[in-house]
Amino acid sequence: MIKLQNVEKVYRTSSIETLALNNINIDVKKGEFVSIMGPSGCGKSTLLNIIGLLDAPSKGQIEIDGSPVKRYTDKHLAELRNRKLGFIFQSFHLINDLSVIDNVEIPLLYRNSSAKERRELAQEALEKVGLSNRMKHFPKQLSGGQKQRVAIARAIVGKPEIILADEPTGNLDSAMGNEILGILQKLNTDGATIVMVTHDEAMAKKTDRLIRLFDGTQVS
Amino acid sequence: MLRHLFKLIWNKKGTHSLLIIEVWAAFMVLFGVLTLIVFNLRNYLQPIGFQYEQVWNLELSSNQDTTELAPKLQRAIQRVRSYPQVTAASRMSSNTPFSANQIGNSITYNKVDVGGDFYYTDGELAKVLDIPLKKGRWYAESDRVGKYVPIVINQVMESKLFQNESGLNKVVKRDEKTSYKIVGIVDKFKAKGLFMSDTPGLFQILDKDDRWNSNILIKTKPGTDANFEAKLVKDMAMMLPGWGVEVGYLKDSRKNRENLTLVPVLIFLIVSGFLLTNVALGLFGVLNLNIAKRKGEIGLRRAMGATESGVTSQFLGEIWVLATFSLVIGLIFAVQFPLMNVFDLDREIYIIAILAAVAVIYIIVTLCAWFPSKQAAAIHPAVALHEE
Ligand SMILES: Nc1ncnc2c1ncn2[C@@H]1O[C@H](COP(=O)(O)OP(=O)(O)O)[C@@H](O)[C@H]1O
Ligand SMILES: [Mg+2]
Repeated sequence: MIKLQNVEKVYRTSSIETLALNNINIDVKKGEFVSIMGPSGCGKSTLLNIIGLLDAPSKGQIEIDGSPVKRYTDKHLAELRNRKLGFIFQSFHLINDLSVIDNVEIPLLYRNSSAKERRELAQEALEKVGLSNRMKHFPKQLSGGQKQRVAIARAIVGKPEIILADEPTGNLDSAMGNEILGILQKLNTDGATIVMVTHDEAMAKKTDRLIRLFDGTQVS
Repeated sequence: MLRHLFKLIWNKKGTHSLLIIEVWAAFMVLFGVLTLIVFNLRNYLQPIGFQYEQVWNLELSSNQDTTELAPKLQRAIQRVRSYPQVTAASRMSSNTPFSANQIGNSITYNKVDVGGDFYYTDGELAKVLDIPLKKGRWYAESDRVGKYVPIVINQVMESKLFQNESGLNKVVKRDEKTSYKIVGIVDKFKAKGLFMSDTPGLFQILDKDDRWNSNILIKTKPGTDANFEAKLVKDMAMMLPGWGVEVGYLKDSRKNRENLTLVPVLIFLIVSGFLLTNVALGLFGVLNLNIAKRKGEIGLRRAMGATESGVTSQFLGEIWVLATFSLVIGLIFAVQFPLMNVFDLDREIYIIAILAAVAVIYIIVTLCAWFPSKQAAAIHPAVALHEE
């Protein structure tokens, strides 16, 4: 489903060069739930951004669904992100000026779908995360766990095959974190392929496979 | 997407209210200035209706002299006409073309009362100023015999008094004592210059023994110069001892007159230009700040599938929605002017000014939002989402 070969990422700023990722080889199979662990600053987010096509690798190749991503044109990448991928972030990244349901609809704005269709899909996604009674609320009126559930609904509203989560429980207490993990596990059994960055050893253990990073290098 | 943008702006209307008011105020000022400009431009584009290039204005004033004024004036104009340099000359009331003087009155026909400029002249004025006739003829000395005073009116006066009928040979009333007969109709006579609007006016024949109207308009032959002017002044002073004699060129007085219109317009234009620049800079600053604050949102949208151009058009779209809010409020005010016929201006002037103001506002906000929106699109999604 996702295959990284010899991926390297170098950040260049005016004075320094950081080798954030070095010779990464990963193969995530369809339907797998993979977690990525490692100390802070070891390149986990960088790796997830490259898998999520938010950033281009400096070297190496990525295959999605068996076809290598060659054309890094803006339009092509945007389309892939929109159709294939769903993102979840540690700090939720909800738009505070939009209601819950309007936030969830965002990915659908970037494809051709009618307002009615958008509403229906967003309602469906909110039901899946158990928030159908909070549709008209605004993010400020929600708890952290609820916010992350909105973010999950937004990630799955376009029915992507791959869900990428960057420390989705990092800002939550353990009860809420477990709740979020439960939702992700449910999505996984329903067929979604999931790659999750986490700090939490216990959570990582509940996933199918664990990738460890240290200083930009894969250690297991 | 448009709906989405409307929601986004609507939900943030509190924070945007100052911007909305600012754009609204800019619109109102623009509307005012453009109304002024459109009004003057439309006048400017209408022909002035007469020739003034070779025409001089000889102003005679009797001062202390009170005896035999009428015959003296008659001798003066005969003398003027006798020079070989003079093609034609006409006596006229003090409201000569481009002068600051105005003589107004009104006439009535079938209970319709129309006010306008009254010019008292002899029949030669048409030759001096080359005023073409649309209908009928100019009055002559022979017209005095009837019981009605002959007049020539302009086109606007005709259509206001008679609507679709012809005014030729109709009798109109000035007051209980005086009735006029219309012997001719001219097209336009914008005596105050190109910027004057084409308003009703009429020419009335001077009384035979008139003593008051002592301006003489003189059409000179091409090439006539200041030497003749000096000679003319000298001759007149000899003929009319104690009188004031002054010669002005209509060409020059026209410039002065038109500057009187242009200068205030120019001042308005400069002031509103400053104002709009201020609004534009403010808008630019706010938008730049806004985009810096919304980096996370930009990254998020990119992650969800927005293209670079999608981000640009979102930010442009937002500012257009915002401008539209302001303009809707502005229009509620602006349309009152044509609806309630404020200042008695042509409706078309207001409508053109409104449309132009709307266009200028959209152009300004687009220009202000262009650079920040491009910058927003250039923000790398991974950087925007970078967790601290
Ligand atoms: N945009 C960037 N420019 C320069 N250096 C970066 C950038 N993003 C990340 N880095 C560097 O790359 C390394 C990996 O960062 P990151 O992937 O965010 O780590 P993690 O998510 O594991 O904490 C760090 O040393 C970080 O400073
Ligand atoms: Mg990170």
